[in-house]
Amino acid sequence: MTMNSFKYIPGESHYVPEQAGVDAAVAKFKTALLHRLKRSAYVYRIDCGGCNGCEIEIFASITAIFDAERFGIKVVPSPRHADILLFTGAVTRSMRMPALRAFHGAPDPKICVSYGACGCGGGIFHDMYSVWGGSDKIVPIDLYIPGCPPTPQATIYGLAVALGLLEQKLKGKNHVEEEGEGAELIHPQTPLDVRVRIERQARLLAGYKQGREISDRFVNLLETHKLTSLKRHVQEWLEEENDPRLKEIVGQLEKTLHATLKGGSRSA
Amino acid sequence: MLKLLKIVKDAGEVTIKYPFAPANFTPAFRGKPEYNPAQCIACSACAVACPANALTVETDLEKGTLTWQFFVGRCIYCGRCEEVCPTRAIVLSQNFELAVFNKEDLYERATFKLCHCLECGRPFAPQKQIDYALALTAQAGAGADEMETLKIQFAICPECKRRNHLNDHLSTLCDLQTSGEK
Repeated sequence: MTMNSFKYIPGESHYVPEQAGVDAAVAKFKTALLHRLKRSAYVYRIDCGGCNGCEIEIFASITAIFDAERFGIKVVPSPRHADILLFTGAVTRSMRMPALRAFHGAPDPKICVSYGACGCGGGIFHDMYSVWGGSDKIVPIDLYIPGCPPTPQATIYGLAVALGLLEQKLKGKNHVEEEGEGAELIHPQTPLDVRVRIERQARLLAGYKQGREISDRFVNLLETHKLTSLKRHVQEWLEEENDPRLKEIVGQLEKTLHATLKGGSRSA
Repeated sequence: MLKLLKIVKDAGEVTIKYPFAPANFTPAFRGKPEYNPAQCIACSACAVACPANALTVETDLEKGTLTWQFFVGRCIYCGRCEEVCPTRAIVLSQNFELAVFNKEDLYERATFKLCHCLECGRPFAPQKQIDYALALTAQAGAGADEMETLKIQFAICPECKRRNHLNDHLSTLCDLQTSGEK
């Protein structure tokens, strides 16, 4: 195993990174390590050119609030003490060698974890000229913890999965279109332009998420009640929520509704 | 010492119970985008909006399919896919337990059939998208006769449509010319 494991390729793509290999004997030890580690896991984090969001979350997860030390997970200052290596960041070209040095510095057997969106697949930087796009390009990875950044809860969950304390939940999915499969319309009872204008106005005022929730509630009221009693039901809803912002937005929605029903083409 | 112990007692236990009790997030917390393939019309709006290219689509013209792919490892949970999805097939959930041993488990794929043009026979758009467009037109108040014509019109690819229009236009021009000569 050479440390400077570059493979030279003539032509436009000058270099491809070559993954540092693992001996068969070490791989055997690794399974034993995973069984024995259970409550004493020393973690060393290697920042391969991330934004420091991941580091902040790693340190958040060893604070009193999340307390990863309940499971014996401890962050150590040297790779020589480590059982688990956390690779964060998209692996910039200049951080490749230091990362490999830390990898080789840690005693075998060790568990390598790809941490965060950049570590798992390059994240938002995956196609930049200056990155290798993921830590699995340079070292053999045993566990992936996605997230941007992973919350402390996700960190604890991920490390617990690595140590065999919790089960992996996410599975790959593959859907193939079935015969007669079709998308359902949103609010099929309401006329299309009424629904679209109300939703558009609500999203304009409250953002896509809250706007959709508000417009859904409003259109549901419109579908279940008569137009004459709508005012009363809307009033009940507003009193229940008691939010001046919601009151203003729903007032605007009512204006939009009446403008649309009158046949005006403007969206109020 | 007693003072310190009193402070500790007053502070109480701050550590959250997470792995032994469900994690509590605010309602606005953005976790894994949950995808409902039945509701998806393969319009690719999410793939265009995705800043990290976690969402990608690939068309296979030979097989006549469109494959939608989501790689959660690259997702930055910005919610722009949810924002642009016209059918609400993608909604960000509160799911954060995403750690996996195998990279293949981070991928989610869905394959949709493409509609073949009625005239030239080439695949040009996902069938579900065309069906949804028709359903929307019907909801907007198109009559039964109109729908019959639209059904045919929607199943013709843009190039053939353009050629047909051009031919119509040319024949009208020819008619005008011949009538002018008379």
